Amino acid sequence: MARSESEVSHEVECIRRVQRGDSEAFGPLVERYQQRIFSILFHLVRRRDEVEDLAQEVFFKAFRAIRSYNFQSSFATWLSRIAVNHCYDYLRKVRASRLSYYSEMTEEGARELERKAESPPSRGLDHGEKVTLRDFVGRLMARAPEDDRLILTLKELEDYSVEEIADLLKLKPSTVKVRLHRARKRMVADLERWRQEG
Amino acid sequence: MDCKELRDLVSELWGGDLPAEAREHLSKCAGCGVFLRDARLVRAGLRALAEEAVPEASLGFASRMVRRLQEWEEKGARSEFFETVGRRFVYATLGLTLALLLSLALPTSGPVRGVAGADFLGFESHNQVSQADVIGGDFGDSHDLIPGGPTE
Repeated sequence: MARSESEVSHEVECIRRVQRGDSEAFGPLVERYQQRIFSILFHLVRRRDEVEDLAQEVFFKAFRAIRSYNFQSSFATWLSRIAVNHCYDYLRKVRASRLSYYSEMTEEGARELERKAESPPSRGLDHGEKVTLRDFVGRLMARAPEDDRLILTLKELEDYSVEEIADLLKLKPSTVKVRLHRARKRMVADLERWRQEG
Repeated sequence: MDCKELRDLVSELWGGDLPAEAREHLSKCAGCGVFLRDARLVRAGLRALAEEAVPEASLGFASRMVRRLQEWEEKGARSEFFETVGRRFVYATLGLTLALLLSLALPTSGPVRGVAGADFLGFESHNQVSQADVIGGDFGDSHDLIPGGPTE
């Protein structure tokens, strides 16, 4: 959504004030970007109860680093980058303690997945089906390597363009495209593997 | 088109229309048919995930955040002050202790230092001899040190 010139200049003014040591000016920045950060965190971590704590940590990191922000990229991108990096570290930490999502899946859930695989959801899904499907794919996402999960979340869930992802992750757009294709392919292959294991 | 090419294409187009060549391969390859169905399933699942309601920040999140940052800043400034003062105190104490130890270890006058050093090293002390000369006495128990250490 395009922002007015006054909104942008107000944001710049707030950033400069925080950089000069006025912590009060950080409030409007938090208010403006909290939902964006909550969305990234939720889609990457998928733990409702942890999103707010993680968001606090992200804003805390941003506050501490704000003097290094040089207006080269947009503040939204800079802040999102901090959130993504924070999540990446978090996911790496929890990976070791994560249970196998396949083994957690119930037999009934597995049968449901089979049924849906046989009849592709082109006709649209009802609420119950959506919940089931969301659960399955959420589990697949949770099982995916951090890099795949990150790029799939930004593209498929957060709806970022390839160029925006490239800017955020400091990669070339061509690299983003390749990683995205590989991540999708691995995820589909992982579903197939699960089916064979089941 | 082989299976790898088809799967790469499905992952790349991700829901877009497949070319005739790909459709032809699919009509003959059951494995790739399953792959295509699974890809559709994953895509639909990702869409469902994207539609899920994101938790909202609780009321007053921003102001609480600012308050915590201010507390952190104050605490940080305080701990920095104590850290600086504390560090100086430790250095001063160490310096004083070192000075005290040195003052205890070193004797107050030169000749005694010579004897002590000679005893330790096992060399003849010229200082002591000259001290006896100055006093004018002949000390039978005076140390007659020779290089190599005391002999009895």
